[in-house]
Amino acid sequence: MKRSGSIKLVTVLLAVTLWSTISFANGDDFNSVVKMIEQFYSVKHEGLPFLAKAAMKAAGAGARIKGGDAKRFAEAGSIKLATFENQEFKGDFIKFRQMLNDSLTQTWMPLVQTLAAPDQEQCYIFVRENGDKFRVLVVTIEPHDGTVIQATVSPKNLALLMKDPEEGAKAITQEATIIDQE
Amino acid sequence: MKLLFHTISRIAVISVLFVIATTITTHAQDPRIRLAHLDYLAKKASETVDVNIDERLIQLAAKLFNDKDEDEAKVKKLVNGLKGIYVKSFEFENENDYSLADVDSIRSQLREPAWSRLVNVTSKRDGVVEVYIALNGSDVLGLAVLSAEPKELTVVNIVGPVDLEKLAKLEGNLGIPDLGIEPTKHKTKNEQ
Repeated sequence: MKRSGSIKLVTVLLAVTLWSTISFANGDDFNSVVKMIEQFYSVKHEGLPFLAKAAMKAAGAGARIKGGDAKRFAEAGSIKLATFENQEFKGDFIKFRQMLNDSLTQTWMPLVQTLAAPDQEQCYIFVRENGDKFRVLVVTIEPHDGTVIQATVSPKNLALLMKDPEEGAKAITQEATIIDQE
Repeated sequence: MKLLFHTISRIAVISVLFVIATTITTHAQDPRIRLAHLDYLAKKASETVDVNIDERLIQLAAKLFNDKDEDEAKVKKLVNGLKGIYVKSFEFENENDYSLADVDSIRSQLREPAWSRLVNVTSKRDGVVEVYIALNGSDVLGLAVLSAEPKELTVVNIVGPVDLEKLAKLEGNLGIPDLGIEPTKHKTKNEQ
């Protein structure tokens, strides 16, 4: 009886551990990146993921009404967005880059990273598989602003992103921030 | 008993030698070059671009890209068989912001017998552009381009079967800068 109780307890513990591992692996790297930026640069984000999702859905419906011509990068409702506005991003960007890569490269593939030392501008694009689609994480940091965007893209849009990563990242960022402003 | 000890010792020595030889051969044939040591230049550079398209991403792309879609098919064809595309590029405000030692740290990895420099290649760019190929017999294992201009340093490393034609098509795509590389007519010994 005691033995079967212990087995049950171990099973439950294993299940909980497994569940938390899966949750970490699948999931909220978006939040951990936002937290990392906040801690490293002592800044505070403004995130409107729910509204962005709603606006994204509305934009998708709008595109369909227009006959589907309006080109979109991210899949409808998939965007998670956190913005940092009018804040000071002062810190060693090489150190930040190292930290970011160390924390993400287990589950994400770094696609392109661009840095500009004079203004400490940074842009990072990470990619990972998400079923038959891909998940893209774009982190942009400028002297006074920053954005973290996570979005799901189709293989076709990943092909476009791979062909021209810089333009692709700009398109995703514009899409997310314009929708945020709507 | 002595014979058994001798036999076991011999097997152990042969095994160790085999492991060492395999390690050395594998290392010599690895067409991936180390670029991380150049990261310190990002602090001086006005722009740094770092592209990492590794085997996992290429395999995913090859698996998921649709042949019927024009964009997907083009990328799929280009990356087919490749095991990695790595680019590190630095643009500087001033000349001499990077040193010859930085260039040599790349050149030292591109030595024979694993690597051969292609002499029949020119570039429209100023400065030095060197193209190296890693071969195993007649199989191409990888390619490396080293472009050292006064205010720009670029290293491109493509792992997998790639030729100059494919490299030319990849320029301007997948984060690979336009290096203006073009094969020249092969010179004979008398012409050189």
